Amino acid sequence: MTDHTTPKNSLLRQDARTVKRNRAETRFKAYGIAAIAVGLLMLLILLTTIIGRGTGAFQQTFLTLDVQLLEAKLDKKGNRDLEDIKKVSTFGYAPLMAAALEKKVADTGIETGLKPKDMAAILSKDAAAQLRDFVLENTDLIGSSVEFRFLTNSRVDGYLKGRVTRESIANDKNISTAQLDLVDALIADGALEKRFNLAFITGADASDARPEAAGMGVSMLGSLFMMLVVLALALPIGVAASIYLEEFAPKNWITDIIEVNISNLAAVPSIVFGILGLAVFINYMHLPNSAPLVGGLVLTLMTLPTIIISTRASLKSVPPSIRDAALGVGASKMQSVFHHVLPLAAPGILTGTIIGLAQALGETAPLLLIGMVGFIASNPPDGIASGLLDPNSAMPAQIYEWAKRADPAFYERAWGGIIILLVFLVTMNAIAVMLRRRFERRW
Amino acid sequence: MKDNVISETDVTTDKIKIAARDVQVYYGDNHAIKDVSVDIQDKTVTAFIGPSGCGKSTFLRCINRMNDTIDICRVQGDILIDGEDIYDSKVDPVQLRAKVGMVFQKPNPFPKSIYDNVAYGPRIHGLARNKAELDDIVERALKRGAIWNEVKDRLHAPGTGLSGGQQQRLCIARAVATEPEVLLMDEPCSALDPIATAQVEELIDELRQSYAVVIVTHSMQQAARVSQKTAFFHLGHLVEYGETDKIFTAPEDPRTESYITGRIG
Repeated sequence: MTDHTTPKNSLLRQDARTVKRNRAETRFKAYGIAAIAVGLLMLLILLTTIIGRGTGAFQQTFLTLDVQLLEAKLDKKGNRDLEDIKKVSTFGYAPLMAAALEKKVADTGIETGLKPKDMAAILSKDAAAQLRDFVLENTDLIGSSVEFRFLTNSRVDGYLKGRVTRESIANDKNISTAQLDLVDALIADGALEKRFNLAFITGADASDARPEAAGMGVSMLGSLFMMLVVLALALPIGVAASIYLEEFAPKNWITDIIEVNISNLAAVPSIVFGILGLAVFINYMHLPNSAPLVGGLVLTLMTLPTIIISTRASLKSVPPSIRDAALGVGASKMQSVFHHVLPLAAPGILTGTIIGLAQALGETAPLLLIGMVGFIASNPPDGIASGLLDPNSAMPAQIYEWAKRADPAFYERAWGGIIILLVFLVTMNAIAVMLRRRFERRW
Repeated sequence: MKDNVISETDVTTDKIKIAARDVQVYYGDNHAIKDVSVDIQDKTVTAFIGPSGCGKSTFLRCINRMNDTIDICRVQGDILIDGEDIYDSKVDPVQLRAKVGMVFQKPNPFPKSIYDNVAYGPRIHGLARNKAELDDIVERALKRGAIWNEVKDRLHAPGTGLSGGQQQRLCIARAVATEPEVLLMDEPCSALDPIATAQVEELIDELRQSYAVVIVTHSMQQAARVSQKTAFFHLGHLVEYGETDKIFTAPEDPRTESYITGRIG
């Protein structure tokens, strides 16, 4: 046994400095966790709000009725000529619907003091147009009785979703308590119910009086055509510019200035690009107003810096030894870039491009100035040229448009639109992350 | 030192392959190479030795104009290969580099298959007319690189999956695939373990049969083992150049002596 004298500074006891240091570290960790918790909480609030308010837009109240498609009304000549049938406007269909509803009420024995016209008012103003479109596509059904699912008025829809109550309609001319009684009776019968509404995703915007018929589809196509323009222009221009700057350009004050300005361009507020687009593309070059082509050009200007910066970063991350190796076996500068450097940088370039596109997809401000915000499109574009040149809106612009309309039914659709937009953005970002993971290379 | 030499100089020619005259290299304001004049013989291994930053790698990179890729680098003086000035305005550096192959410090295979690594040079220079010819060139190059036996069954496996020493031999095979006349090696063994180093050194000695080999090395033992001629660089000057045996046993310049005995460097 050796005899240990007690050491002067025991390691078993922490001295004051160590205690203080450890406390500081613990405190710092707590701050970090708190910061992350705040961030996550905000995200949670955001997501629950969006989902809570927006999912309603994907459901719509429909009333299922048996409609007699009377030949006497729809095809007086009886020759099933499409041109003749088209002459019958929605006014010709409205009585058929009213009759169908009246029959339904009589058949189910619902007691109501409402006049047929007031009963029919629970249907959407768009319902007649829906029925007309259906008949024009299925002319062979004229003369028979079909079961058809009609959109109901947005107030009825709101009643089923809890947005409209018997108290809240006291001063509402659009709906009465008697009509709500009828609605209740029809719900009990099972004819009137909430269903998934595909038209919200595929349809076009609708006027102020018909929120129940409004959909995102056409503005989605507007966004799609803009993204095609951005992709077709920003990717080749951005990649060519980056390759030249990174691999070929001499390093001098001119390239320094270019570099600084590209970074500055990335920080320019998007509304500035909007007014530039208005001045150059519309006023000077006379491209059409509200056209996705112009929107795409403006967004290209905005996306270019993002693509250039990320492309240059991924070109820089390719180790110089690869360039040396290629030059060493006698490849020209261009061969070394296109055979070796660019393929290795491609995943990074793609990631940057997708993130740039996602940014452009969510951009609203520049669209305000080139007329892509407002009640614009009523029909899906017909072909590529029409998609590029005909007036259209874009997803974020459509959301903004709905959010500023008075009817709360549109407000619900704005939230629904945000869900669709977010799904697109999250998908694009997920693809970017996947590409990065998939092709990430270790040297 | 003499017993360290792997083989005696048996292929001696007096033919001068590379002749440098009053070469000056500047990096911006930094005068990196000063008045270097040297004659490098064909079918000989010439070693450049010297302390870090002495300019030996810089000078090596002048021989295939790799310094052209550095914006701030300026080269003055003449470097002649077979009597032709490689800095002549008519010379395309790309063509020059096909004639003067280079192996780098860190093995740098392309992240492609072993086959594609070797075939790349012949492809871009149009050395093969068809697949069979290319296969032939690749096989010959890999044999020259003394790596054929190890990779012949997995030519389409990635080159980056090989061990460090194999990668470096693959890079040598890649360099010889374009049929160069001069082979430059910039510290080819500094990233390798002793066994891989021994294999590469043996290979260098074999390559001497066909090429003028110039090797930059930090290891004096390596210079003594593989080279017939040695050049000692110090602070941008070529201090002494001569037979390797002589440099290591009876150096003329006191700086050379200090370096090889370990007093400077």
